[in-house]
Amino acid sequence: MEWTKQFGRYALIMLLQVLLFDQLQLWGACHPYIYILCLLMMQITLPHNVDMLIGAAVGLIMDVFCNSLGVHMAACILIMFIRPYLLGSIVNDKDRLNEQISLRAIGIEALIKYAVILVVIHHLTVFSLAAWSWQHIGFVLLETVVSSIITLTVIIAYNFVEYR
Amino acid sequence: MQTLLKILLRYSNFLVFLLLEVAAFLLISMNSAYPRSSILSTANEFVAWQNAVVSDIRGYFNLRAQNEQLAAENVALRNRITSMDSEENAAVIHYESAKVVQMTTDRLHNYLTINRGSKDGIQRGQGIRNEEGVVGIVKTVGPHYSVVLPVINTMSNISCRFAKNDYLGTLKWDGKDNRFALLADVSAHMVVNPGDTIITSGLSPVFPEGIPVGIVENSTLKEGDSYHTICVRLSTNFKRLKYVEVVQNADQKELEELTNGMD
Repeated sequence: MEWTKQFGRYALIMLLQVLLFDQLQLWGACHPYIYILCLLMMQITLPHNVDMLIGAAVGLIMDVFCNSLGVHMAACILIMFIRPYLLGSIVNDKDRLNEQISLRAIGIEALIKYAVILVVIHHLTVFSLAAWSWQHIGFVLLETVVSSIITLTVIIAYNFVEYR
Repeated sequence: MQTLLKILLRYSNFLVFLLLEVAAFLLISMNSAYPRSSILSTANEFVAWQNAVVSDIRGYFNLRAQNEQLAAENVALRNRITSMDSEENAAVIHYESAKVVQMTTDRLHNYLTINRGSKDGIQRGQGIRNEEGVVGIVKTVGPHYSVVLPVINTMSNISCRFAKNDYLGTLKWDGKDNRFALLADVSAHMVVNPGDTIITSGLSPVFPEGIPVGIVENSTLKEGDSYHTICVRLSTNFKRLKYVEVVQNADQKELEELTNGMD
């Protein structure tokens, strides 16, 4: 039951990404990928390999919608690989990691640290792989900063609404 | 053997990570070199259907602008019919109209999806234009939808010439502004003035000769450069692209086979 609920919620987030956030055309550099919310909030009770496979699948689905085969996949696998190590190093109380990663579980400070690091890594990877050359490095960095801010706002807001 | 297995097991997470990343990078390189799979793009039936629904909903919000564009298109089409008989191309070139169901304009690799596919005779490499001018080239074809690589994609490459004296150049995009593109390969000895008209060259079977591309906005020539740096204001307004036409050249296959045989 818990799993179906979670799956439904994640499907909704993916839809929101595709129907709303992909259509945003603000300032030319704002392409927030809020769908990684699904990956960031997943519990880390599953084996690490399975985590990475889920990341690959979610990334591949996004790629189909963005015509960017492999780009989101690579970025999602990367953050899913880093995730457990990062959580291990910023969350002191290991018992807290048995439930879904959330504001309630790990506290605001750890949540912000965790989200900032992974969102920036993910967005930077996506935008630089999509650009595929050093020529556009300035634009890629701008895109990363602007989009990360929006994505982070959505992730933090989601946590406040869901897990006050 | 046992130690090797132990090591493999110990680092299995990292190995899976590497393996998956390699797969992702293979997909990336495959996609930029020669995209074959329409399932894994917006030509995919479900994704395109979803995009078509979104574009229909959005369509209600700018009906007025669309009507104006359609009216202008009608006039231009009527004009074309009258001049058709004189065009020697008329027999080989057929236009198929299509609707844009999805498009991005503010990324480095912009794409648009149209609601025509292999069932409507669309093939990879066919040109896309609208009444204003050149739009792009078909990249991936699905049964009912196709993905188009527009001029405003950094991978785009279109052969053009000056209307005034037939000098050739290549149209590229620098990823900055969707209203402007760059014209490369124009030798320094040629005189370029702002306001010069750029049209398609007709040298490839993708576009017939003379489709408007844009107007020279400005050009710079530094001391010692052998080529001009030319900024072209595109005729096509990608921001409000709604209906396009696919250029179907009956001789395209033959012409491409001939040129491929040369190398």
